Amino acid sequence: MNSKESCRSELRIAIRQLSDRCLYTASKWAAEQLMGIEQDPANFTPSNTRFQWGSSSIRRRFRTNEITSTPIAGVSYVSTPVMEEDDAVDGDFYLLAKSYFDCREYRRAAHVLRDQTGKKSVFLRCYALYLHVKLSSMELSHYYPRLVVGATKSINYAIIGLNTQYQKEAWYNEAGEKRKEEEVIELEGPLGKSDSVNHELVSLERELSTLRKNGSIDPFGLYLYGLVLKEKGSENVARTVLVESVNSYPWNWNAWSELQSLCTTIDTLNGLNLNNHWMKDFFLASAYQEIRMHSESLAKYEYLQGTFGYSNYIQAQIAKAQYSLREFQQVETIFEELLRNDPYRVEDMDMYSNVLYANECSSALSYLAHRVFMTDKYRPESCCIIGNYYSLKGQHEKSVMYFRRALKLNKNYLSAWTLMGHEYIEMKNTPAAVDAYRRAIDINPCDYRAWYGLGQAYEMMGMPFYALHYFRKSVFLQPNDSRLWISMAHCYETDQLRMLEEAIKCYRRAANCNDREAIALHQLAKLQYELGRPEEAAFYYKKDLERMEAEEREGPNMVEALLYLATYYKTQKRFEEAEVYCTRLLDFTGPEKETAKSLLRGMRTTQSGFPSMDVEHFSP
Amino acid sequence: MAGIVKPPGEFSITPHKVSVCILLQIYAPSAQISFHFPFASVAQHNRLGLFLLALTKSCDDILEPKLDELIGQLREVFGVLNPRFIDHLTTRLSALSSPDDLFNFFSEMRGILGSPESGALEDEQVILDPASNLGMFLRRCILAFNLLAFEGVCHLLTNIGVYCKEALSSCASYETTCFEDSSSNLEAFPEYENMDLENFVFKKVTEEIEARKRASERVSFHLHAPKALFNLVEDIEAPADPKSKHGDKVGEASSYVHPPDYALREFEPNSGIFLRTNWQIQGYLQEQADALEKNGSSFSLNAFELILRQLHKLAPELHRVHFLRYLNSLCHDDYFAALENLLRYFDYSAGTEGIDFVPPASGSNSFGRYEIALLFLGMMHFQFGHPKQALEVLTEAVRVSQQLSNDTCLAYTLAAICNLLSEIGVSSTAGILGSSFSPLTSIGISLSVQQQLFVLLRGSLKRAESLKLKRLVASNHLAMAKFDLTHVQRPLVSFGPKASMKLRTCPTNVCKELRLSSHLISEFSFESSTMTTDGAFSTAWLKNLQKPLGSAILSQENGSGSNENAFQFCVQPSSIPGSVLQLIGSSYLLRATAWELYGSAPLARINALVYATCFTDASSSSDAALAYVKLIQHLAVFRGYKGSVKKPNFSSCKKLNQVCCGEVLGGKKRLQEMVVLCANVTVMDADKGQMRYTPILKSSIVHFKLCLNITDPNVGLEAFAALKLAEEKFLSVSKSRILILKLQLLHERALHRGHLKLAQQVCDELGVLASSVTGVDMELKTEASLRHARTLLAANQYSEAAAVAHSLFCMCYKFNLQVENATVLLLLAEVHKRSGNAVLGLPYALASLSFCQSFNLDLLKASATLTLAELWLSLGSNHAKRALSLIQGALPMILGHGGLELRARAYIAEAKCYLSDPSFSVSENSEVVLDPLSQASVELQVLEYHELAAETFYLMAIVFHKLGQLEEREEAANSFKKHMMALENPLDDEDPLFNVL
Repeated sequence: MNSKESCRSELRIAIRQLSDRCLYTASKWAAEQLMGIEQDPANFTPSNTRFQWGSSSIRRRFRTNEITSTPIAGVSYVSTPVMEEDDAVDGDFYLLAKSYFDCREYRRAAHVLRDQTGKKSVFLRCYALYLHVKLSSMELSHYYPRLVVGATKSINYAIIGLNTQYQKEAWYNEAGEKRKEEEVIELEGPLGKSDSVNHELVSLERELSTLRKNGSIDPFGLYLYGLVLKEKGSENVARTVLVESVNSYPWNWNAWSELQSLCTTIDTLNGLNLNNHWMKDFFLASAYQEIRMHSESLAKYEYLQGTFGYSNYIQAQIAKAQYSLREFQQVETIFEELLRNDPYRVEDMDMYSNVLYANECSSALSYLAHRVFMTDKYRPESCCIIGNYYSLKGQHEKSVMYFRRALKLNKNYLSAWTLMGHEYIEMKNTPAAVDAYRRAIDINPCDYRAWYGLGQAYEMMGMPFYALHYFRKSVFLQPNDSRLWISMAHCYETDQLRMLEEAIKCYRRAANCNDREAIALHQLAKLQYELGRPEEAAFYYKKDLERMEAEEREGPNMVEALLYLATYYKTQKRFEEAEVYCTRLLDFTGPEKETAKSLLRGMRTTQSGFPSMDVEHFSP
Repeated sequence: MAGIVKPPGEFSITPHKVSVCILLQIYAPSAQISFHFPFASVAQHNRLGLFLLALTKSCDDILEPKLDELIGQLREVFGVLNPRFIDHLTTRLSALSSPDDLFNFFSEMRGILGSPESGALEDEQVILDPASNLGMFLRRCILAFNLLAFEGVCHLLTNIGVYCKEALSSCASYETTCFEDSSSNLEAFPEYENMDLENFVFKKVTEEIEARKRASERVSFHLHAPKALFNLVEDIEAPADPKSKHGDKVGEASSYVHPPDYALREFEPNSGIFLRTNWQIQGYLQEQADALEKNGSSFSLNAFELILRQLHKLAPELHRVHFLRYLNSLCHDDYFAALENLLRYFDYSAGTEGIDFVPPASGSNSFGRYEIALLFLGMMHFQFGHPKQALEVLTEAVRVSQQLSNDTCLAYTLAAICNLLSEIGVSSTAGILGSSFSPLTSIGISLSVQQQLFVLLRGSLKRAESLKLKRLVASNHLAMAKFDLTHVQRPLVSFGPKASMKLRTCPTNVCKELRLSSHLISEFSFESSTMTTDGAFSTAWLKNLQKPLGSAILSQENGSGSNENAFQFCVQPSSIPGSVLQLIGSSYLLRATAWELYGSAPLARINALVYATCFTDASSSSDAALAYVKLIQHLAVFRGYKGSVKKPNFSSCKKLNQVCCGEVLGGKKRLQEMVVLCANVTVMDADKGQMRYTPILKSSIVHFKLCLNITDPNVGLEAFAALKLAEEKFLSVSKSRILILKLQLLHERALHRGHLKLAQQVCDELGVLASSVTGVDMELKTEASLRHARTLLAANQYSEAAAVAHSLFCMCYKFNLQVENATVLLLLAEVHKRSGNAVLGLPYALASLSFCQSFNLDLLKASATLTLAELWLSLGSNHAKRALSLIQGALPMILGHGGLELRARAYIAEAKCYLSDPSFSVSENSEVVLDPLSQASVELQVLEYHELAAETFYLMAIVFHKLGQLEEREEAANSFKKHMMALENPLDDEDPLFNVL
C-alpha cells in the first residue's frame, strides 16, 4: 500500500476539489477517511487523538491478526495524478453560482453559469440542472399517486423518496436544515411527468454525451453522465461511464457507490476494468458486502484498516459484515466503541438497534433511541431505532408509526419495510404485512428476511402451499440459517399438506447448519417415528440427547428422548442399553418415572424368565 | 393497507376538455359575449351539438385525442365549409398564456350556463340547461378547475401549451388558413421557444439533431411540409430521445397487435403527458388483457412488457400492471416471470384491485382475498402443465375460500378443478384431493377420477346456479356435456346386482347440456359489466365516426345528410361481450366434436363452419385454429388430399371470380354478400336448411376463401391447399394445432401411398410433439402411438404393431379414455385380420363394437362392423352370407357419413362377399360386383391408396375375365400393375408440404 502520507495528501486535495464541486457527500466521506489514517507520531498532539481509537481496547480485542494489514503481494497501485484546477477565469461567476447552489437555488445557479465553458462550470451547471430535475420529479412523484389511487393510503403517497445519495445531499447539505412534512406539496389534478422535466433530462444527457464524444469532459462530468444514464435505464453504458470516471478520478466516493449499485452480481463486478488504486479496495469491500460475500468483504476491510486504522466508516462496515454473519456480540462491542468516539453518529445505528433488539437489551436500546432522537429525529435511522424500541416493548402500534415515519423520510429504506412487516405480523394484520414485505422485496430482491416474512404471513393465513414458494426463496438466499429451514419444514408438516418426506429433508438441512434452538433433531426423530422408521428415530433421539447433554439442558425433550430410547432398545432386546436409559429416567419426576420403573421390572422378569446367553455370560 | 375500495374515476381537467369547453361556447354562446357564430344552417348547429355530445360522453376515455385529431374530426363532421370553428378554437387555446387567462376563461364559461329562473328565451339563443348532459359536463369542468391548486393551474397551462404546440407542428396544412388572422399565436409561444433554446444547448450537436430541431421547431411553423416528411423526422427523433426508447419499440409491437396508433399514442414520448385517471388506465389494462387472451401469441413479449414497465414507473401504486405482466409472460410461456408477477400482484393488491372487484357487501372481510391468488396460481400451474401442483394449489384454494366463505371463488375453483381433471389424465387423485371437501370420502368410498369429476361438476354447477354466475353456469354445462360425451355416468354407489346400471352415454344429455349452455346469450346479464357500458360505447362511436362518416358526410354535404348522421351517431356496437361470445362459440365447437364422434359428418361440418364464420372474431386464435383443423380434416377424409379429379364447374368458377372481384375492389359489402351466399349454399347442401344462422360479417379474405372452398364441393380445393391457407392465417399459432394437422395429413397420405419411411418419419415427429415439455397432452399421445401402430401394421410387422396397440390399450384403459379404447380395439382386430388370425381378431372387433354401442359412436361402429364382416369373410366362404348381411346393415351409415377410404373398403368387401359366395354367379348379375368395384376404384385413386386400388383392379380383372371381357380385363390388369409398381417404388415426387417440415 502507498505510504500513509501520500494517501493523506491525495485525500486533502480531493476534499477540496469535491466540495468545490458541491459533491458534499463525497467530500464528507473523504474527510472521514483522511481522519481515519493513523496520525504521524511527529504531529502527535493530544488534541488530535480525541476522536480516535487509540485509547480503546477494541483493537486489541479484534485485530489479532496483524498480518492482514501487510500489503497483498503483487498488487501495485496506479498512482493517479491529482487533477489540476481550471484557471480562475470564470471564478466570479462560479462563486456566485456555488453560493446559489449552496442555498439550493439550482435553477438560478445553472443560469448564472449558462455561458461558462470551463469544465468546472459546465459540471456545476449540469449538476444543478440535474438536481433541479430530480427535485421536481420527486415533487411530481409524490403527488401523482394521490391522483391514481386516491387519498386513502396516506402513508405511501406523502412519502418523499430520499433514496439516493444526491437527494440526501440536497436535503442535508446544510447543517440544521430540517425538512418538514409540510413541505410536501400536495397537488390535485391531471398531471403526469412534467414535460419540461423530461426535456431537461434529455438535453442534459445529450449535452453530456456530446462532451464525452469530444473528449472535453472531466471525471466529474462523467460521473454525472453516469447518473443520468442510470436514471434513463441504460445500465451498461452507465457502468462503463462510471468506470471511466473512477479510473481517472478515484476519490469521488459518490461515483463508486453509484457504480456499486449497478453491480448486483459477481460476474458484473469481475467484468469491471478498474485501475488498482486504494479506493478500489473500499469499493470492492462494499460491493462484496452487497452481494453477500461477507467474509471476503470482511477480509478487505481488515486489510484496509492497516492504513485507515482509525476510520469510523470501516469500523461500521465491519460491524455490518459481522452482523450479516450473525456475530452479534462483536457487533455490539464495535458499536459501543463507535459511539464513544463519535457520539452524534446516526448512520448505521439502526443496525446497532437491531442487535440490541435481538439481545433484548431494552434499556440500552432506549438510551440509544434517546441519543439519536436528540441528535436528529428526522433521520430515517432515528425513526427506525425508536420503532425497534417500541417493538421490544410490545407497543406495536407506536412502533409501526415510527417505521412509517422512517419510510416517509426515505421510501426506499429497506429494513424499515421489513421491520414494519414484522410488526404487522405481530398485530395479526397479515395483508398489511404482506404489502410491507413485498415492498422490501421490490427494493432489494435479495432480502431473505422479507421473503421469510411473506412465507410466514401466508402460513398464518392458512395457505401453506402458497407460502412454500416464499420460504424456498428465502432459503435460497440464506441457505445457512437453520430458522428458515425449520419454518419451511413446519410448513410441509402442516395438516393440510402433510408432505413429511420434504419436511424431513428440511429438518436435516436445519440440523446441519447449527440449529441453535435445537428443534430440528427432535422433530426429525418424531417424524421418523411417525413414518414408521424406529431405527432412524432412535438415531436422531440419540443425537438430540447427546446435544442436550453437551449443552447441559434438560426438559421435556430429554424425557421424551430417554423414554423412546428405553422402549426402543427394549423392543430390540438390547436390555443393557435400555436399562441405562431407564435408570436415567428415574431421575425425573412425573409419569415417566413410573413408566421407567415398569419397564425395568418388565425387563428383569423377561431376563430371569428366559435368560439369554448374554445375560448369563455376564451375570455373576 | 389492503382492501381499499378505490373511488371511481376522478374527473380532472385536461387540455382536451378545455377545447371541448371552447366548442361548447361556440355552440351556446352566452349573451354577454359579443360574437356569435353564424351557423350556415340549423342542421349544422345541431350537428355541432351532437358532436359535442359524443365528445363529452367519451371524456372518460383512456385516450384523449390530441388537438390535431380533434381538428381532424371537426373537419370531417363539418367539411371544408366551416373552418372558422377551428380557427376560433386554436386562437382561444393559444391565447391562454397565464393562469389568470384560465381563471377568466372558466368564469366566462360559467356564463353560458343558463340559470334555472332565466326562462325568458331570446330568439336564436341556445341556453345550456345545467342538468343536461352538456351542462353537466361543463359544470364538472368548472368544478374540477376550481378545485385545482395553483400548481395544478400552472401545470394545466404548461400542458395546454404542449397540446397546442404539438398540433401546430404536426398539422401542417392548418397554418395556411390560420396564421394570417392569428398572429397572436406567435406571441403566445415565445416563452416555449426560449425555454427550449435555453435547455437545448446545441453547440456541437450532430447534423442529425440539427435537422430534427429545425424541422420540428421552425420549419413546421412556416413551411408546409407534407406529412410524410414529419413522420420521417419523428423517426429520426426517436433514438435521440431517451424517453422514446420505449416509444419506438412500442411502435414495433403495436403494429402487430392493435391499430398502431393506439398504443403508440398512449406511450409516445410526447403524448404521455396527459395522465389518465385510475379508471381509464384500468380500462386500458382491461382491454389489453382481453386482447392478450384472444390472441396472446401474437403479442410481442418484450414490447408489451416495456409498456407495462413504463406504466408501472408512472403509476407505482397501480398494481394491476403486475397482473398484465403476468398474463403477458403466461402467454409467452415464461414460467418464472409469470410466477413472479402473479405473486407480486397479489402481494400488493390482496386480490382487491381492478375493475371487476366488487367490494364485499357486508364489509366483514377486510383481509384481502388471497384465495383468488390461489385460484390463479392453480390455473397457471395447469397452463404450464404441472397438474399435481395445480391440484395442490386448487385444493388449498377450496379450503381457504371455504374458510373465508367466498362462494364465488369456490365455484370458480371447483370449475377449474373439473377442467383440470377432465383435461389431464391424472391417474389417481388419492391423497391429493384432500379429504376436507369431498363429501363422499367421508363415507369411505374411494372414487375413480371420473367419478370424482362427475361429483365435482354437479357440485360446481349447483353452486354456480345458486350464485347466479351466468357464465360459469354456461361453462359448467359445457364441461358437463364434455363429460357426458366421453364418460359413462356410473352410479356412484351401486347396491345389489347391476340391474339398474346402464353402461351407456346418452347423446340427448349432451345435447341438453349444450343447449343449456347456449341459453347464456339470451339471458345474458350484467354480471360484471358495470364499467363497460358508457365509456366503451362512446369510444366506439368516436372511432366509428372516423371510418364510415368520413366518406359519407363529405360526399353528401347537404341538408338530407344530417339525419343520417344523427342516426349514425346513435349506432351502437353489438352489446354482447366477448367472453359470452367465446363461450357460445366453444359450445359450437363442442357440438362439432360431438357430431364427429357420433358420426354425423354434415352436422359436424356445419357446426365447425358456424364457428368459423360467426365466432372467429371473438374467439382465441387457438380455438379458431381448431375449427379450421376440423374443417380441413373433413376435407381430407371426404375429398382426398390433392390432385382434383373433378373439374370445377362453371358456377363455382363464377363464384370464385366474384370473391376475387370482391378482394380487388376491397368492398366489404361484396365480400359480405359472398359469405352469406356461401353460407346459404352450405346450409342447403348439407342439411336442407335445418339450421339457421346469420353470419356476423367480419373476417379476413383468406377466411372467406377457405370457407367457400370447404363448403362448395365443386371447387377443386383439397385438404393440402386449404391447409396452406390456414397456415397463412394462423401463422402465429402454427406451432400447435396446425402443425399437428399437417403431420396427420402427411402421415395419412404416406400410408396410403405406401411411403412407409416417410410415414415413420412423420410418426416420429408426432411422437416428439406428444412428449413436449409443457405438460402431457393425452390426446396427442394416444394419437401418436395409434399412428405408430398403424405404420407398423402397414409394414407388415404384425407382432410389433400388436404390441404397440396393446400397450396403448392399457394406457387408455388406465386413464379411462373409452372412445380411444374403441379405436384401439378396432386396430387390434385389424392387426389380427391382416396377420391372418381371423379367429383372434373376432373378439377384438366385437369388443370394439360393444364400446361403440355404449358410447353411441355410430360411424366407428359401422367401421367395426365392416371389419367384423371382413374377419368372417376371411374365415371361409361359408361365412360369406353372414358377412354380406353385416356389411349391408352398415352400408347406409358408411355411405352417408363415411369418408372415401371407408366407403371404398365397404365396396370392396361387399364385392368380395359376392365373389366368394359359391351360390353367386358372376355372369348373371355382374353389375352387383362391378358397380361397387368401379366406385371403389375411383375413390381410391383420389386417395392414391395404391394397395387397395391394386386389390380393386385385381378383383375387377378377375370379374372381367370370368365375364370374358378381355379388353376391360387388360385395362384393369394394367391399372393393377401400375398401382403395384407405385406401391413398390414409392416415388419421392414433389411434396409441397414435406419440404416445410
